Amino acid sequence: MTAPLLQARNLSVDLFTVRSALRPVDDVSYSVGQGETLAIVGESGSGKTVLNFAPIGLMPTGVVTDLHGSLRFEDIELVGLPAARMRRIRGGRIGTIFQDPMSALNPALRIGRQIAEVAELHLGMTSVQAEARALDLLKLVRMSDPESRLRQYPHELSGGLRQRAMIAIAVAAEPKLLIADEPTTALDVTVQAQIIALLKDLQKRLDTAIVLITHDMGVVASIASKVAVMYAGRIVEYGSVDQVLLEPRHPYSTGLIAALPRPEDKAGTLFRGLPGAPPIMGAPQPGCPFAPRCPLVVDYCTDVRPPLAPAPTGSAAACHVVNDVPHREMAHA
Amino acid sequence: MLEKTALLSVRNLVTRFKSVERGKWITAVDDVSIELAPGEMVGLVGESGCGKSTLGRSIVGLEKPQAGRIILDGVDLSTLSGRTLRERRRAIQYVFQDPYASLNDRQTIGEAIAEALIIIGVVDKVEQRRRIRLLLDQVGLPDALADRYPRELSGGQRQRVAIARSLAVEPKVLICDEPVSALDLSIRAQVMNLFLKLHKELQVACLFIAHDLALVRQATTRTYVMYLGKIIEEGSSGELYAQPSHPYTRALLGSIPTADPRIEASRAPPAIFGDIPSPTNPPSGCRFRTRCPDAMPACASDPPPAVELTPSHRARCVIAADLYEAKGGSVGRNHYAGA
Repeated sequence: MTAPLLQARNLSVDLFTVRSALRPVDDVSYSVGQGETLAIVGESGSGKTVLNFAPIGLMPTGVVTDLHGSLRFEDIELVGLPAARMRRIRGGRIGTIFQDPMSALNPALRIGRQIAEVAELHLGMTSVQAEARALDLLKLVRMSDPESRLRQYPHELSGGLRQRAMIAIAVAAEPKLLIADEPTTALDVTVQAQIIALLKDLQKRLDTAIVLITHDMGVVASIASKVAVMYAGRIVEYGSVDQVLLEPRHPYSTGLIAALPRPEDKAGTLFRGLPGAPPIMGAPQPGCPFAPRCPLVVDYCTDVRPPLAPAPTGSAAACHVVNDVPHREMAHA
Repeated sequence: MLEKTALLSVRNLVTRFKSVERGKWITAVDDVSIELAPGEMVGLVGESGCGKSTLGRSIVGLEKPQAGRIILDGVDLSTLSGRTLRERRRAIQYVFQDPYASLNDRQTIGEAIAEALIIIGVVDKVEQRRRIRLLLDQVGLPDALADRYPRELSGGQRQRVAIARSLAVEPKVLICDEPVSALDLSIRAQVMNLFLKLHKELQVACLFIAHDLALVRQATTRTYVMYLGKIIEEGSSGELYAQPSHPYTRALLGSIPTADPRIEASRAPPAIFGDIPSPTNPPSGCRFRTRCPDAMPACASDPPPAVELTPSHRARCVIAADLYEAKGGSVGRNHYAGA
């Protein structure tokens, strides 16, 4: 295999606002190959959105972002890339899909114009060419009645159609990488199934890599090839989708997966969950951030930060305790 | 069959809104009848735009229904007005989806709960304090939180406060509109378990409005499925999930991805077409027919009958009995309950 399409090495993000300094992403490494889907799973405040959007310059105004480490896309180092060059990549070779299509689309522009704009900017098309391309893209995302949709405004479309329009914008410049932030969270399950099927189909046809940010394990299982589980700004488990979902190793991922209701759970029985509350984003901590909620916690967990250590078989987990277990088990074998 | 024991009975309720188009109406809730027995946990599921929240809001009086009756404890609320209506309706309380929007930023938690206590006539400060402590304890929050502001609380804690506030007036029915969908995955189980605990301890009946079917299946004993303003299937939760007998319920259940990549790799999404149609101009006959994989010409002409599959399970679809039997159920034919 050649070099991965996107590779993060020891990436950290510091955010400085008027009042506080935070480190929402703390020393994170991962890679995504062409045509691959990496799912980044985590709860709110785990840093999964900042991890993906800070490096491509999509942060709220009034926040000073400081990046450390390295994030290479193709042969370009994105950390420290001037804003002007970033603008040419973002929306072009890197497409983005956001959670809420209503606030991501321009309410005052027709759908066709919004798609054409991308093709004009990144592919250098004339407006006539670009409008023709917009029609092709609406067909590609399997929008019903594409000719009349081109002339509609976002408020005239349903949630599912808006999300299709946003996907059409994201793939308008034939990106190598799609970053999708909770693309189906705002949608109903029946529409979610259609959008996931569409993303899989587009990925096959365009050979795009997808980084999918989500909290839904079902969505992960249906589309991802690799999974990174984030907790308090760190990747706590990283491996193939089969490894992480079927044989999770980190106590946090184990707990999250065990918490999903199963068909065999009887009506009226208690739900399984994790005790305690998710961490509040703040300054980096010395030990393991999951220690206060962890069932396996031992005394040095709060002092020594567990490295993300690969196991001989299975995923890499950042946990002192589970990384000791395989050695013991292997002694038995 | 629940008639005689029902605590809350909603009969043929219709709630309409004026459309932006002149002279047009959106019938969000169209001739819906549901029932809740005392202390029962009931689910109401459906896609966004199906009218499930409007139904809940109509029951508590946040929307004004155009027709139909809401009977609480044997008293028809539509015959009451003013003070008596407000006092009666107090037995039904609402828990909103978004705990960030449902609490006042400028009130402490204690003040927010005290407001509810004042409404029921608890004006003594010491007694208020005692009750607030009790309520916070019931929802698993420390007493010290009473002096904090909502902004200092996490989403899960806020939702607990909202629940404590609805419990302050000692309701018999809680209408919970997506109470955990704004919460983090690891917190959802905690709040759901709180509902189960409260239900057990206080015997309060709950109508759970949700789109998360797995959650509803585990929490409730009966489930109603709603589509474009109509209840299209109802039954005991276990049976409804094991033997869904309306094509829509089947599609809804089939759309939920499992967390097992081995199953997902080979699973095709269910055959359901497009999005929910506009309620301004619903399809004739069966409202689901435009998206239904099993639609036939007859579906366009008349609304489908309610087919009684078991005494507690019925579905409004012409082929409901076939679907039920295909899933291993047996149903005596011609047992149609009528429309």
